[in-house]
Amino acid sequence: MIAFFKNSRKILGMNARNLQFIRPNNLRRAKRLADDKLLSKKILKKADLPVPNLIAKIKNIDELENFDWNTLPESFVLKPNRGFGGEGILVVYGKKKNRENTWIKADGSLITVNDIKTHITNIVDGSYSRSGVPDIAFFEERLKLLKLFKPYAFKGIPDIRIIAYNKVPVMAMLRLPTRESEGKANLQQGGVGVGIDMASGVTTTAVYHKNTIIEYLPGSRLVLSGIRIPYWKNILSLAVRAQEISGLGFLGADIAIDRDRGPVFLELNARPGLSIQIANLDGLLGRLQRVEGLKIKTAEKGVAVGMNLFGGEIEEEIEDISGKKIIGLVEKIKLIGKEGQEIEVEAKIDTGAGLSSIDTGLAKELGFEKTVEEYERLGLDYEKIKNMAKNEREELFESIPDLADTAIIHSSHGTTHRPMINIDLSMNNLTVPAKVTIIDRSNLKYPAIIGRKNLRKFLIQVK
Amino acid sequence: MNPFVSLALSNGVPLDTLVLVLILPIIVTMIAFFRQVIGIKAFGIYTPAIITFAFLATNQIKYGIIIFVTVIAMGTFVRYLLKQFRLLYLPRVAIMITIVGFAILALLIIGGIYNRTGLASVSIFPILIMITLVEKFVAVQIEKGGRTAVILAVETLIISVIGYYIASWPALIGFILNYPWISLLTIPFNIFLGKWTGLRMSEYFRFRQIIKSK
Repeated sequence: MIAFFKNSRKILGMNARNLQFIRPNNLRRAKRLADDKLLSKKILKKADLPVPNLIAKIKNIDELENFDWNTLPESFVLKPNRGFGGEGILVVYGKKKNRENTWIKADGSLITVNDIKTHITNIVDGSYSRSGVPDIAFFEERLKLLKLFKPYAFKGIPDIRIIAYNKVPVMAMLRLPTRESEGKANLQQGGVGVGIDMASGVTTTAVYHKNTIIEYLPGSRLVLSGIRIPYWKNILSLAVRAQEISGLGFLGADIAIDRDRGPVFLELNARPGLSIQIANLDGLLGRLQRVEGLKIKTAEKGVAVGMNLFGGEIEEEIEDISGKKIIGLVEKIKLIGKEGQEIEVEAKIDTGAGLSSIDTGLAKELGFEKTVEEYERLGLDYEKIKNMAKNEREELFESIPDLADTAIIHSSHGTTHRPMINIDLSMNNLTVPAKVTIIDRSNLKYPAIIGRKNLRKFLIQVK
Repeated sequence: MNPFVSLALSNGVPLDTLVLVLILPIIVTMIAFFRQVIGIKAFGIYTPAIITFAFLATNQIKYGIIIFVTVIAMGTFVRYLLKQFRLLYLPRVAIMITIVGFAILALLIIGGIYNRTGLASVSIFPILIMITLVEKFVAVQIEKGGRTAVILAVETLIISVIGYYIASWPALIGFILNYPWISLLTIPFNIFLGKWTGLRMSEYFRFRQIIKSK
């Protein structure tokens, strides 16, 4: 019950979206910019942000009659300037060979000049525009599908929706066109939305038909989680830049990735939909409130804040599935000594080493002063030890307190004989018992090395 | 009797008109409440309100509902027929209104054949209102797709039926004639609704997966 209220308080509903976020942040001028694709294209381009190239525009029936069809390239996209929800977009893949003025559509069917003319007439008449006002039709370059997305996208280009607020990217979703959506990425047309972890750009949960959570791409066995979006940081900073330029305080930026050009803006949205919350299994309101009032000076700073605040779900998820904790190559760890003494150090996580070892000084601090001293008093080295019999050695070490074992270690510094002690290691909040060797590491960068033997419960992330 | 009501009546304002105007604020407030708090959208505020009054003007609500359903069903069917012709908006709506009009006529005649005289005697005002409903329906079909249009039509029907029962509730009518200023209380209530930023009830359902998650 408490969880119910806690979670529902984080969700952004229609009322709050309109009243608290769109109204005060997206002023009329900015909204007009977002609703006018040609204008937002122009303004983004002026700020050196990547947009699909404009080929031609047709403002009225006169211009349509006088249009020179030979100026069109092999492939293009035809769009209504004030269209919304992906309606009225026509994607042409190539020119039909040996036939005058005939093209091939996304689904392989043919389309003639007359069909295109009818479509443009409809656009100009306002059939696809908000509130039916007369509109402009325009041709733009067709973006090429990234290889990575090929198996996931049905005859269209996936795009990435980023919600940016107060110069911080707060939530993101990958939108995949499906058979049902006829190659359009919009959710209300039947596209699939996949949540994205803000820190890593890796996909998480997927939503279909607005509310249904799915694991696999409909009609296939392709898992939708775990796709790593390329250019992730770049995409986030593009979204923030677009927010600065457009003046949309609460922005939904749609960015596609072109095979050759990389991230490219498709559209700016002044009234982003709310289903993105389901794809991310998290409420927007909670995230927006955390970002509200922060003083963010640069786009880079905003991106860093977004990645830090709203990332990390993936790591937790992997940890949940594998039952293992994730640590880095260099990790802050806690050494726990004989009487529970705790020392925090930076340790090198080294899968090349079998055993873990710590610096002599650390061992002393952990309560093994006597052990170290008595071992050192014996004045042993590898050469002496090598020639001793097993029981001879055992006799020698019996008197040393708290000595767990000894080991002969071959390392880049030569071969050494070392004493070993039993301590506890705590890494990423997981404590494991460890038998570690003691050696003078005072000249080395890290006072401790953790080897394979103590890493069984961990996964190592290489950054 | 309330002095304001007797003043109106003694100066020739019909009682029906007085009741309808006084009850209208309550109906539209209810529609606003349904949208903002419950999450039933319907076709805006005008359409469900006017359909409510159309229901009040038909002698029996069941005939009103039959006409409404016929209009929506025909609207869906004719859209399907006309899709292939790729017509421009206004001519297309004109054709739809024509066909829907004839369908309603046919419905009235069929009602007559089966001795449902109540249906045939429905006055022209509600019939015309419901025929023109088809324009709203087509507009939503284009903007949001056929499925959404049907959902919104059903929501409109639900709200209008509830509105009908509220507006024809004798106790409420009697109360409002005694205290006509009560109608104005809807204004502060609407100010509250207009500032309401909480989740709609439908959104608790829509986002149930997020609410359930850890």
